[in-house]
Amino acid sequence: MCNLLPGEALSSVNRFVPSCHALNLREMNPRHRNFHTPVGRPGTRIGATIRKLLVCCAPLATLPLSGFAAGSAIDFNRDVRPILSDKCFFCHGFDEHERKADLRLDTAEGATAVLEAGDGQQSEFLYRIGTDDEDDLMPPPDSHKSLSPEEIAILEQWLAEGAHYDEPWAYVAPEKTQPTAVSDDAWPANWIDRHVLARLDEEGLSPSPDADPVTLVRRLHFDLIGLPPEPATVGVFLAAFANDPDSAVSDLVDTLLASPHFGERMAAYWFDLVRFADTVGYHGDQDHNISPYRDYVIAAFNGNLPFDQFTREQLAGDLLPGATLDQKIASGYNRLLQTSHEGGIQAKEYNAIYAADRVRNLSAVWMGATVGCAQCHDHKYDPYSIKDHYALAAFFADIHDTGYTGNAVPTQRPPEILVLSPEDQQQFDALTREIEALIPQKTQAKVQKLEAKATRLGKQREQLVQAAKGEKENAIAPPAAPPSTNDTEQDAPSSADKLAALDARITANASALQTTASAATRAEWRRLLTKRAAIEKRGRKTMITVAKPPREMRILPRGNWQDDSGEIVQPAVPAFLPQIVTDADSRPPDEAGKGTEPVPPRRATRLDLANWLCDPDQGIGGLTARVMANRFWYLCFGTGISRSLADFGGQGEPPANPALLDALAVEFLDSGWDVKALMRLLVTSRAYRQSSIATPEMLGRDPHNQLVDRQSRYRLPAEMIRDSALAISGLLVRDIGGRSVRPYQPAGYYRHLNFPKRTYDADEGDEQWRRGVYVHWQRMFLHPMMRAMDAPSREECTAERARSNTPTAALTLLNDPTFIEAARVFATRILSEGGESTPERLDFAFREALGRPADPTEQQLLTELHDQSQVDFQGDPEDAAEFLAVGRKQVASQGDTVALASWTTVARAILNLSETITRN
Amino acid sequence: MNPNQLNRRAFLSNLGLSLGSAALSGLMARDIGAATPLTASTGLPHLAARAKRVIFLCMAGGPSHLETFDYKPELERLHDQPMPESFTMGQPIAQLQGQQLKAHRPMCSFDRYGASGQEISSWLPYTAKLADDIAIVRSMVTEQINHDPAHTYMNTGTAISGRPSMGAWVNYGLGAESENLPGFVVLTSVGGRNPQPIASRQWSAGFLPSKFQGVQFNSTGDPVHYVRNPAGVSSSQQARLVEAIGKLDGHRNTRLADPEVTTRIAAYEMAFRMQASIPDLMDISDEPQHVLDLYGATPGDGSYASNCLLARRLAERGVRFIHLYHRGWDHHGDLEKYMDVCCRLTDRPTWALVTDLKQRGMLDDTLVIWGGEFGRTPMVQGKGLAAGRDHHIKGFSMWMAGGGIKGGVTHGATDELGYHATRDVVHVRDLHATMLHLLGIQHDRFTFPFQGLDTKLTGVEKARIVKGILA
Repeated sequence: MCNLLPGEALSSVNRFVPSCHALNLREMNPRHRNFHTPVGRPGTRIGATIRKLLVCCAPLATLPLSGFAAGSAIDFNRDVRPILSDKCFFCHGFDEHERKADLRLDTAEGATAVLEAGDGQQSEFLYRIGTDDEDDLMPPPDSHKSLSPEEIAILEQWLAEGAHYDEPWAYVAPEKTQPTAVSDDAWPANWIDRHVLARLDEEGLSPSPDADPVTLVRRLHFDLIGLPPEPATVGVFLAAFANDPDSAVSDLVDTLLASPHFGERMAAYWFDLVRFADTVGYHGDQDHNISPYRDYVIAAFNGNLPFDQFTREQLAGDLLPGATLDQKIASGYNRLLQTSHEGGIQAKEYNAIYAADRVRNLSAVWMGATVGCAQCHDHKYDPYSIKDHYALAAFFADIHDTGYTGNAVPTQRPPEILVLSPEDQQQFDALTREIEALIPQKTQAKVQKLEAKATRLGKQREQLVQAAKGEKENAIAPPAAPPSTNDTEQDAPSSADKLAALDARITANASALQTTASAATRAEWRRLLTKRAAIEKRGRKTMITVAKPPREMRILPRGNWQDDSGEIVQPAVPAFLPQIVTDADSRPPDEAGKGTEPVPPRRATRLDLANWLCDPDQGIGGLTARVMANRFWYLCFGTGISRSLADFGGQGEPPANPALLDALAVEFLDSGWDVKALMRLLVTSRAYRQSSIATPEMLGRDPHNQLVDRQSRYRLPAEMIRDSALAISGLLVRDIGGRSVRPYQPAGYYRHLNFPKRTYDADEGDEQWRRGVYVHWQRMFLHPMMRAMDAPSREECTAERARSNTPTAALTLLNDPTFIEAARVFATRILSEGGESTPERLDFAFREALGRPADPTEQQLLTELHDQSQVDFQGDPEDAAEFLAVGRKQVASQGDTVALASWTTVARAILNLSETITRN
Repeated sequence: MNPNQLNRRAFLSNLGLSLGSAALSGLMARDIGAATPLTASTGLPHLAARAKRVIFLCMAGGPSHLETFDYKPELERLHDQPMPESFTMGQPIAQLQGQQLKAHRPMCSFDRYGASGQEISSWLPYTAKLADDIAIVRSMVTEQINHDPAHTYMNTGTAISGRPSMGAWVNYGLGAESENLPGFVVLTSVGGRNPQPIASRQWSAGFLPSKFQGVQFNSTGDPVHYVRNPAGVSSSQQARLVEAIGKLDGHRNTRLADPEVTTRIAAYEMAFRMQASIPDLMDISDEPQHVLDLYGATPGDGSYASNCLLARRLAERGVRFIHLYHRGWDHHGDLEKYMDVCCRLTDRPTWALVTDLKQRGMLDDTLVIWGGEFGRTPMVQGKGLAAGRDHHIKGFSMWMAGGGIKGGVTHGATDELGYHATRDVVHVRDLHATMLHLLGIQHDRFTFPFQGLDTKLTGVEKARIVKGILA
């Protein structure tokens, strides 16, 4: 830890921190929580504490004072930290338990001794990294780590230039700056472009030319709504673009942002982050009730719910005053984790597993941090202690999820609420009011009790009558019972007496019932109840969060749930970050300030945590904004400005354009966390509009396109591949929201599921052709098409999906019945709407799928394919019929079987084109 | 800023890997895709490989070590007595939570077999014939007591989801030897007790590029999902379609010069080859009768026997890691009945597989591993004839045979009640380290960067190679 006292670092801080980060003595005083407030922008800094801890970049007295200057070749965070972090911090970093030789290189203070050069002597540091002596060499050979000559050169240069440290970039408050000059003032469309161009200027590169409008209209559609454009839309856009490109783009963007499909597209990504799925994920992988949460997220993006409120509602919707139904549904976020319902699980163990899971997800999604790594020990690379891990987990200790075993599908995981459609909800409420007017709530219970009693007594009477009847028959039947000698002596009351007594009770009960509610009232009451139950049945249950008394949370040494020796921790945010204040001031007035007794701090809640995540002044709002801005950039450019979408720590990649990322984060904050505005800004930039064609030189120089001298091209995500095929064919059902849907799936795919055994029934109705975002997400066996296209199982946070290019994916697109059916239905449209001649039809098909006509080569290749297919199917019309029987959709075709089958073959080819499934 | 800063960083981050070109092409595959089969890199193997491939026979559910390879006469004496608390105090427990813990005697007899005199249960007469070929490890320990996380632990070295399975690791490190088949194939078998669920997570590539994930081959129904042509489409039609797609993509790519498109054309070609080769491979009816008899396999029955035969066929064709699951071993109750069932279904085919490999000269470079995700308690669960045993993680048995393994060895031991592994304890990560070692991979140099760590199959704790079983 840094023991720097206020004042000690004054000179150094002013010298080593760029002027906008400069501190002064007054600012170092921790009593001034808002001390770092740049002029004109109140409080975007990430907090006082971190600055105090990590800015302790004391210069080495022996090093030249002129070392650091703007434009210097070495940038600590960009060039040096990744090397030190990867090669040194494991033993010489934050984790004091692992720390060797009492040396830490993650702070300037800790490193001083080894970085200082003696009189005419090489520093210990340089000696150790350069020596031939294996005993002295660092990193030691047995670590299997080594420094490359390039890395050694960087470190040497760093020392030569003053060996200064910068704060970890992620924890410095973002600042919005504007490049002073760019090489071409005509190129930028908005301020983003000035940053992009300034960065390209630095590298001596220039931007790519604009993409053609067809590419652009497709790109905008995929990025904003996840669907290909309809040909008519393409036509309108091309005309408008020819007239005025800027306003054409601007108008289209407005339309797309207003589309209800925008929410679906954004939600699909959010679901990867928060690991939204339809099943519990462990062992029996039973379904759980959660689909209304999906509708909530889609609606939130469509309604442009500010991201800070979106955060609060998910983490703590239940704690918001007067929580609405939507906010309760949103709190289902806390229930999304993998859970086990296996018999024989140990509650204590699973409480620990769930706690760690929540910390992993929270820190990855909002903080871009891997706090999960501190489950067993202090973090090796970032300043998260094991205590920080458990203190974060303690925020969630009021959620109780263990104790629900059993093999029901869906599984029982209270608390859950019933969610109805707005219309149903209205009816439901009206019925409830009618019911209550008829019999008040409290009385209803009494009526139910009395009715139950009436039923019970009725049954008893029945039994008694039956028994008496039996006795009588026995008495009549020969042989006659031996004559009783003592008729007057009876041990038990006679049947008749029993019956009389029972009848009296029945009458009394009936009378009580009648007094409480008349028979007519009760009949009407029952009618209404039945009606309401029918509505209820149409509803969907969803898991929500309801706070309970928090469990005790201990630090688990080495993550061992059986070890009770660890310290008990209270909910708290990581110690090096600004802290949540829950002192007397934040308590209700009637509790605060009474007498002289110090008021104990209130236990911090999930709501405090959510507020802290989004508060740029007292919390880490600046970090959260940066994490999310980086991801929105990824959604529009195919890669993050920092490529590490969920790790802004020492082992993550620093941003390739820090000023741009900062400016975007500030923009996001200043806009009040306006997601649509940020997306709009990104897609209306000139950078966005560039061509995605990369030369081999570009690929060699910047394979991941971090400098943005072009747009990116990549295979569409799984859902968009499905949606595209359905949209192009005309099959797509564009309803928003609802339960999960089940597309065709290979028979027996769930045969490895058990407890209970599962069969899969593909949807027979229109649900079959709904968008991928609604597909049933079976964690253990994700739909094979989704899996083949790299959709994650959603067991853990996935900030970036892989984009593989495998034979399995090829087999899926070629042979999955969903795509065969789509090809057939597409073919019927080609035949009915595409004109009469083959060239006309091919042009039509290309325009539908790709927004452009087929070129002569494509015409020729597809004509050949069509003709050959026609010959094949003519030779065997039964094959054609079989081929056309794939899929449930019945569509009348204008052509005969052979024509339709051969055009279906052509449609398959088009749906399989690289261009069809590529965003470029 | 220095010129080519980004490229330098990309270069450095690649160099940061402990692998050479395998890792590099792995990264490229993740980032820009690559369907071309990966071959062993310049960096791998690190050592002379003793085995080229692995066949992992997973007895899912957790077979009882006390009724297979770890005879405990002391349990006879303690039968029906309370388990001494010194054994059970503070230990994790699954379904016996809150119940009285009583010892139960071995439910079968044991005998010594082979020149080595290895002690093997009467339920495994065929495995007994392999006594001199297999190295029995009696001192296995794991860390997860419930099935799902225990499998995840056995396969990935951690209970956290999202990590690569060992098959994916091996596939990533060494690649497949076949251009027509994936490098990591999973086969599951029918038959046995109410089967254990098994998640596709168990053969996931985790954070490794997707192409290294296990591919499930089905011995009934479609051998691989979507490997058959659509109904009514002939192979020649499908070939023409794939060709047309390739030409159209290639034509378009003359303007784009996108390497990804080239990769995709290759992927379609390989997909088509798989369509031809996999159904043939999976149809074992072309095996001579004496081979079918050896295994006791009936073509198309989906049995463990058929899968053992398929495993040999996959091994012959260059698949690197073959993972077989038999899912009937969770014997909480009726242990005698179900041991009988499960052993009848698996004992002979397992023997046949090892024997067949041996006869073909393939056992020398094939590592065969047998075992479950954990063992079973010395304590009884249930009563009388319905008696069974609960999950147990502090000591259980596995065996290995083939490439680089010393046959006829019993390694390690549990205490007198078969509770704790006490001598030469072998942790799951030690098993992984040993397996990798035999494949020529140094486990502590075999890493992939994930969440800032150079992540290893063997995890962060020190893993040891089990030298005692090496030939």
